[in-house]
Amino acid sequence: MSERTAELTCAELVELVTEYLEEALPGEELERFEEHLVYCSPCVTHVDQMRETIRTTGALREQDLDPGLADELLAAFRGWRGSPA
Amino acid sequence: MKALKFLLDGSVGPFSGFAWTGGEHGEPGPWVEAEGDVTCKRGVHACAPADLPYWLQDELWEVELRGPVVRGRHKLVAPSGRLLRRVEAWDAAARAAFADACLARAGELVRRQPEADGYLADLERFQPHVGPAAIASLAARAAEAVEGRAGYEAERAAQADWLAGRLGLERGVAA
Repeated sequence: MSERTAELTCAELVELVTEYLEEALPGEELERFEEHLVYCSPCVTHVDQMRETIRTTGALREQDLDPGLADELLAAFRGWRGSPA
Repeated sequence: MKALKFLLDGSVGPFSGFAWTGGEHGEPGPWVEAEGDVTCKRGVHACAPADLPYWLQDELWEVELRGPVVRGRHKLVAPSGRLLRRVEAWDAAARAAFADACLARAGELVRRQPEADGYLADLERFQPHVGPAAIASLAARAAEAVEGRAGYEAERAAQADWLAGRLGLERGVAA
């Protein structure tokens, strides 16, 4: 196992983004996470997009979906599960 | 306790989105109180001069912290704080000079450790396109790659020393 580097990597940040947005990161991890955001604008964009996605989907109700769209999504997911890895 | 705080343009907290006010014309701003118990996660955040390279943003402010201060790895957290004055010396010229100084130290690193030349090339390539925080991080990671954690810490310390000298920061800040 490689030694932990001083700074969080982008891959590590992506793993932690849900906990960050749920304010569930322990203190030191939170600090490393926010230090990374200071210098990495692509990760800032990623966190902003995740926050916006959660906000938007959180406001969405099943009845808001067009019935045709719901069928299309279900068909897509069924096909996805059946596709080769 | 006096301390330092970086904010985005318009005196906005980079993570909280909180819009700070005051601290102009020599008048302190209003006290801002944190909600709930202060921990290293929750409260008014600031830092000491040695921590500055980790938090570089558009505006630098001298702040006053009130109440018991919790020390994080590279930050200070207090129950309340207020803006005292903007550090005007942290301007576009200082930001550019800071990035140049990081690049110069990376050049010295390559003279000591020629295998770091790829990092120096990255720094030179990125410098016109990214801010000083990214350059500072790249320089520190270059030092870490060839000299280990001690190299990383030494580069960050050199960045802090450069900032304290250029910005004329008071020795008593966050002491």
